[in-house]
Amino acid sequence: MAPEKMRRWGLIALGTLALLSIPAIGEAAGEMVDTKSVVKQFIELNTFSVLFLFALGFLGGLISGFIGSGGAFVLTPGMMSLGVPAAIAVASNMCHKFPKAMVGAYKRYKYGQVDLKLGLIMATTAIIGVQIGIRIQKMIFARWGAAGSNLYVSLAFVTILTLLGVYMLYDAFRAMRAKAEDTASGLAEKVKKLWLPPMIKFGVANTKASLWVTVPLGLGTGMLAATIAVGGFIGVPGMIYVLGAPAIVASATELVIAFLMGLTGTITWALGGFVDIRMTLLILAGSLIGVQLGAVGTTYVKEYMIKFVMATIMIIVSVSRGVAIPTYLHQLGTIQLAESKIIILNNVSFIMMCAALATGGIIILGNMWKRKKEIQLEAEAKEQSVPLPS
Amino acid sequence: MKKNNQVRPVRQTILWGIVSLVAYLLVFLNQQTVTYYFTQGGFYALVVIITALAFSFIHGAFANYLLEAVGIRAIQKQKGGH
Repeated sequence: MAPEKMRRWGLIALGTLALLSIPAIGEAAGEMVDTKSVVKQFIELNTFSVLFLFALGFLGGLISGFIGSGGAFVLTPGMMSLGVPAAIAVASNMCHKFPKAMVGAYKRYKYGQVDLKLGLIMATTAIIGVQIGIRIQKMIFARWGAAGSNLYVSLAFVTILTLLGVYMLYDAFRAMRAKAEDTASGLAEKVKKLWLPPMIKFGVANTKASLWVTVPLGLGTGMLAATIAVGGFIGVPGMIYVLGAPAIVASATELVIAFLMGLTGTITWALGGFVDIRMTLLILAGSLIGVQLGAVGTTYVKEYMIKFVMATIMIIVSVSRGVAIPTYLHQLGTIQLAESKIIILNNVSFIMMCAALATGGIIILGNMWKRKKEIQLEAEAKEQSVPLPS
Repeated sequence: MKKNNQVRPVRQTILWGIVSLVAYLLVFLNQQTVTYYFTQGGFYALVVIITALAFSFIHGAFANYLLEAVGIRAIQKQKGGH
């Protein structure tokens, strides 16, 4: 990139950061809790909780480094299962998100996978979208209460993630069968041809799109991030299927978005004193290793593997969220469930979320291992084919 | 013929590992004081953010060298960056 262009983008980035640092704008940035749950209480950490947070951090980091997002859906309930109040769990998770995303984004920027312009536009609009999403959430909360709000969140979660996950899985299999690196999106081709000025060219993503398509996509990502707390599961497919960014660029660029959204969210929560830095640092101990391993992993696999891993996690998480729906229906009085059944359903839901993370981790590490072996065999074969000097 | 001509940064891994361990010990041996000040809110939010950034640099550097030391490096041709 030319120095002048770099300087211009640097200034835009600084301006964006300054704007996003205003707490009112960055309110919670993707995760919110109701006012009754805002309890400031800090737990005693024992060996189990230290190891548990380290392991969850590692797996969450590995997935984020590879697909650009993930981890929050397990980390927040994971901390809450240790007895941490919701607000502290959300705040501590948010505070680990931005340094992790920063390290992952830097690593993948070095591999030439990050489209900075796309990341900044998406992040800025997504943060505005979060505000719209939070308002919608508040309206639902005021009308139907906590159970209604949870039901709405779960329904949005299950519907959106299942649809996107199944389509992405089908798409990954299409590329796998064709033995191609990846597939192209038909919708994105139409979007590229849609001449609605101003048009924006995205160099690294090697695509172009109208501002009138890019901005609503960012807004939608933010709105859904506020609703279902996993913005990346919307942002990455959006960049791939609407804007036509390759999966490897979309997942890397998502880390820039996660960094900016995490930073604004952290500022808000830290101003209120809700971050338990001990838990943040324990998660970071694992996730900073995981995120770099995941980032390196993207250079080992075919691009469709990113879609495959993301789709698999999305489908498992969506089923796990679906398992929690009867509990909310019970709270709303629509159905009747015994207390023991509710506990079982909640446990099953959490274990499935952990399983989603573990499955993603196994696929990534398994594929890296396989590719490393192939490279080793290729090198050995090459070595044997070189004639010895006489 | 040498099989792997990439240098494994064992010394840097150990050095950054020690720095990271000391930083973690500093926080966890004083966890009550740390928790008290870091949850005051207001100005202390800046301390929270600076701490998170400092650990991402220190522990991030250790993690980077650790992966390289065990032979995990990017294998495809790098397109850009620095």
